[in-house]
Amino acid sequence: MPDSRRFLHPEAIGRIARLDLRARHVVEGFLAGIHKSPYFGQSIEFLQHRQYAPGDELRHVDWKVWAKQDRFYVKQFEEDTNLRATLVVDVSRSMSYGSGPLNKYEYGATVAASLAYLVLRQQDAVGCVAFDEAVRTKVPQKTKRSHLNSIIQALDASAPREKTDIGAILRTVAEAYPRRGLIILISDLLVDRTGLFKGIKLLRQHGHDVLVFHIMDDDELDFQFSGPTRFDGLEIDEQLACNPRALREGYLESLNAYLDEVRHGCAKNGVQYKLVRTSEPLDGALATFLTDRRQMLRR
Amino acid sequence: MPSFVFESLLWWGLPLVGLPVLIHLINLMRHRRVEWAAMEFLLQSQKRHRKSVLFKQLLLLLLRMAAIAAVVMMLAQPLLRNKWGAIFGGARTHHVVLVDDSFSMSDHWADTSAFEQAKGVVTRLAASAERQDTPQVFTLIRFSRAGQIARGTQPDLLESPIDAQFPETLEKVLGPLVPSQTAAGPVEALDAVDGLPAKGADEDRIVYLVSDFRAGDWREAAALRKSLERIATAGSQVHLVNCVDAMHQNLAIAVLKPAPGTRAAGVPLLVEVTVQNFGPEDARNVSVALQEDGHARTPVVVEEVPAGKSVTRRFPVMFATAGQHELAAQLESDAVTTDNRRTLVVDVPPAVEVLVIDGDARGSDAFFLTSALSPGGKIASGLSPVIESPRYLRDHPLDRFATIFLLNIDRLDSAEIAALEDFVRLGGGLGIFLGERSRAAFMNDSLYRGGEGLLPLPLAGPEELIVDRLEKAPDIEVSDHPIFAVFAGERNSFLGAVTINRYFAAEKNWLPEPDSSTRIIAHLRNKAPLAVEKQFGEGRVVAFLTKASPLETELGSWNNWARGNPSFVVAMLELQSYLSAPKNADPSRLVGTPLSIPVDTALFTPQVRFMMPRELGGATLTVDATTPVSPENNEKLKDGEKAAPADNIERVAVLNETDSSGIYEARLVKLDGSEVTERFALNVAPEEGDLRKLDAQALAGELQGVRYEYYEAQDINYNPQQLAGFNLGESLLYLLIAVLLAEQVLAYVCSYHPKPLEARAK
Repeated sequence: MPDSRRFLHPEAIGRIARLDLRARHVVEGFLAGIHKSPYFGQSIEFLQHRQYAPGDELRHVDWKVWAKQDRFYVKQFEEDTNLRATLVVDVSRSMSYGSGPLNKYEYGATVAASLAYLVLRQQDAVGCVAFDEAVRTKVPQKTKRSHLNSIIQALDASAPREKTDIGAILRTVAEAYPRRGLIILISDLLVDRTGLFKGIKLLRQHGHDVLVFHIMDDDELDFQFSGPTRFDGLEIDEQLACNPRALREGYLESLNAYLDEVRHGCAKNGVQYKLVRTSEPLDGALATFLTDRRQMLRR
Repeated sequence: MPSFVFESLLWWGLPLVGLPVLIHLINLMRHRRVEWAAMEFLLQSQKRHRKSVLFKQLLLLLLRMAAIAAVVMMLAQPLLRNKWGAIFGGARTHHVVLVDDSFSMSDHWADTSAFEQAKGVVTRLAASAERQDTPQVFTLIRFSRAGQIARGTQPDLLESPIDAQFPETLEKVLGPLVPSQTAAGPVEALDAVDGLPAKGADEDRIVYLVSDFRAGDWREAAALRKSLERIATAGSQVHLVNCVDAMHQNLAIAVLKPAPGTRAAGVPLLVEVTVQNFGPEDARNVSVALQEDGHARTPVVVEEVPAGKSVTRRFPVMFATAGQHELAAQLESDAVTTDNRRTLVVDVPPAVEVLVIDGDARGSDAFFLTSALSPGGKIASGLSPVIESPRYLRDHPLDRFATIFLLNIDRLDSAEIAALEDFVRLGGGLGIFLGERSRAAFMNDSLYRGGEGLLPLPLAGPEELIVDRLEKAPDIEVSDHPIFAVFAGERNSFLGAVTINRYFAAEKNWLPEPDSSTRIIAHLRNKAPLAVEKQFGEGRVVAFLTKASPLETELGSWNNWARGNPSFVVAMLELQSYLSAPKNADPSRLVGTPLSIPVDTALFTPQVRFMMPRELGGATLTVDATTPVSPENNEKLKDGEKAAPADNIERVAVLNETDSSGIYEARLVKLDGSEVTERFALNVAPEEGDLRKLDAQALAGELQGVRYEYYEAQDINYNPQQLAGFNLGESLLYLLIAVLLAEQVLAYVCSYHPKPLEARAK
C-alpha cells in the first residue's frame, strides 16, 4: 500500500471527527497518491508541466520541450467548470449498521464530502440531497469553495433515521435538478429494487449521468456470525432468533442474487456502479468518480 | 433385556442424556442481539432452509444424546444373553470344568503343586459364578474319570446348580482329590463333554480345560484340535487354564525288567534299571534304592544322567527259591514323586525245561547239546534238558518247555510238525541242527514249505567246506546278534578255533527277503550261511546248518565245535536264552488298565479275591469271573440271542480299580479249597513324567484355527458378569466412535467454516 493510501483507510479516517477535515484529508491524500497519474484537468487553459510518467497519454507530451531538453514532459490544464454534480446520500436507518470503525452512514457521508471537496476544488458545481423515506435536506449546486460547509452541515444533520423509499426520492431529485449533470447516489440500496430502477431510469431519461456507490458492511457481505443470535430488523419490524451458521449459505445465495440484480439493473440503465465495503480505503470511490467523469467528458 | 455390570452407574448416567437439550435451551436464552439491516436476505434464507436446518439440528442433538448414552452404557457394561434366554428371561450358563489329574499334575514347587493350583482355579470359578444373577450350573470332570464317564459313570459333579450351598458341596468334592497315577490325557476328557446332556438353545456353555499342557500331550495333537474345534463349533466357549509356571527337575525310573537270560531258582539273573532325566539340568550321583522281596539291597548309583537322556544299569539278583519274587527300584524325592518308584514281579521256576529231539537213537548230538545246556556238577545253569524221540512231539503237551531243539532229524510226520508249529507260534523257541540224517527234500517240502514253514531257508544238500587250511582265518564269521554278543569285542580266539568241515548249503542264489524276519546271523568262511533265524508267530527259530555233535559220521566229522571248545557252551546257552525270550516277556502293566485273570473253572472257583498294593493298606476286593464277550458273542447278542454260559469256557476275572501303582495280588481258590496266589506289578507310564510344557505361543501354533482363550492359573479372576453372556462394552465403544464421527461430520456440514483465504482476509 502506498503511504498516501494508508491515510485513506477507514481506521485512519475514523479518527478524524470533523467531516470537512475528513474530506480534505481524503482528497489531498488521494491526489498525493495519483500525482503522476493522468487523472487531471481536461481543458484548454494550460496550468503547468509535469514529468512524463508511464501511463500518460502521448498526446499530452510537450514535444517542444523534448526537442529542447531531450526530456519528456506532459502539459497539464485547468479543468473546465462545466460539471454539475449532485450527491444523493441515503441517511435511512439501515445505514446506521457498521461493524468497523465507520458505519455505512459515516462511510457514505465521508465519501460524499470528499467528492464534494474534489468537485469544488476543480471549480465545478456540487449539490447534495440527504434522504430517507423522503428528502430530508437539499443543498443547491454551487461552485464556491465555501459551499462545502453547507454540504457538510447537511450531511451532519442527516443522522440515520426512518425507512428508505428510493423510487420517490429519485423522482424528486429528477424534478429538482432538471439540468443535465452527474447524480452520485450513495446508499446501501436495501430498498425496493423496482422503485430503484424506475428512479434511475427517470434520472437517465432526464439526461443525467448516474454514479452509484453501493455501501455495504463486511458483515452484510460475508455474514460471519456464530453462536445463537437474535436479529432485529432496522427498517422492517421482524425478528429472527437463529444459529447464523446454519442460515449463512441461504443468506449468501439471496444476497448474491440481489447484488446481481442491482448490478444488472445499473448496467442496463447505463449507470456506473461501484460496490464499496466499509472496510476498504476511500480512494476507491474517488477513483471511480474520476474515471466516470473522464468518460463523461469524452462523450 | 441385557443385565449390567454396574447398574447403579446407569441410573446416575442416563439423566446426562438430556444434557444437550439443556445446553440448547441455555444457549437460546443467552443469545446476543444484533440490529440488522439486511433482514430481507436472512428471512429468505430462513424460509427456504427452515426444514432442513431443523432436521439437521435435531439429528445433531440426537447424535449428541446418543453419544452420551453410549458412554453411560459402555461404562455400565451391558451383558447380552442368548436371545431365546432373553425372551424367557432364563438363559443359564453351564460351566464344564475338565481338571487334569494325571500324575504330572503332582508337580510341586515352593508350597504348592500344579494340582493345588487347579483346585484353586476351580474354586475361584465357582465363587465367581455364584455371584451371578442368572442360573449357573457346574460340571466337574477329572481326566482320569473321563473314560469311565463314557461307560456310564457319573462325573464328580454333573450340572450341579450353583447356589448358596454350592461352595460347601464343591469343597466336599475337591477336598479329598489328589492327582491320580494315570497318564490320562485331555482327549478323553474333551470327548466326555460330548457325552454330557446336549447344550440347549438357552444355554451358554463354557468348557474350561485346567491342565499343565505338557508337550507330550499337546504337540502335534490333531485329535485334540479336532475335539476342541467340535466343542467350539457347537457354540461353547473354550478356556484353557495353565497351572504350571515353569519346568522343574524330575527323574523317573523308566524301566525295571530282567535282562535276557535263564530265569530259574538259584541261577543269577541280571535286572535292568533305566533312569530317565526329564528335567532341564543334568543329574549327578543318582542313587537308585533297590528292594528284593521287601528287603533292601545295595543301591545302584548312576554317576550322571544328562538332561533329557536316560541311563541303564544292570544289577544281578539270585532267587534261591522258585515262585514269584518282587523287585522295587526307588529314586529320591523330586518334583514328581509318582514316577520315582517302579516294581517288578519275576516268575522264577525251579528249572527251565528244554526238549531235545534227536533223530539218532544213539543221541550223540543230544549228548553234546545237553552237556552244554546243563553241565552238571557245581555249575547251575537252571536248565533241565529232556531228550526225546520225534514221536514225543505228537504225544505230549509242549507248553511246559521254553525251547525245543531238533537235532539231526530225518523226518517228522504232519502231526509232529503241526505240534511244533503251534508251539513256536505261541512264543516257543526252536533250535535246529542238521546232520547226516537230514534230507534236503523233506526239509524243504515239510519244514520250509516255500517260506511258510519253520525252517528259515531252503536247502540244497550237504557240502564240504573246501578252503585253504593254510590260510589263517576263522571258519565262522558271526554278525552283531544277541547270541554272539558275548564274543563281541574279544579277540574271538575260541570261535576262531572252530573248524567246520561239512554243512548244508542253501539253495542256489537264495537270499533272505529284505522285508522278512529271516536273517543270516553267522556265515562260513566261504560266505555260505551257517546260522539263519526267523520269526514264526510269537516265537523264534534258529537253524544251524551243521551238526551239533563233533563225532565222526559215515560222511566224516562235520565240525569240531563241541569238542572241548568253550565257545560252544556259551553260544548254546545264549541260543537257549534267545529262543526262550518271547516266553519270558514281562508284560508291562500300566496303572489304570484293567487287570484280567483267566480262571479255569475246571480247577478254580469263579470268585477271585484281589488284594490292592500294600501302600494302599492291602484292601481286598472279590470279583466274579465271567465269560468274556467275544465279537462272535456280540453278533449273537445283537441278533437277540442270549449268550449261554458253558462250563468248559474259560472265564476271566477283571479288576477295574487299578488306579495306583504297586503289586496287586489275585488269589484263586482251587476246588479242593487250597489257594493259588498270582502277583502283578502295575506301574505308571514313565513318559507322563516328562515335564516339558508348551507355552502360550507354542500352544497357539498347535491349535491354529481353534477359537479359545488362554489363561495362567494365577491370573484367573473371572469377573462374574463376564460369565453371564456377551459383554457389549467393546461393541458400545465402537458404536460411540461411530456416533462421534457422525456428529463431527454433521456438525461440520451444519456450520460455517471459512476457507483459508477467506479466513486470512478476515
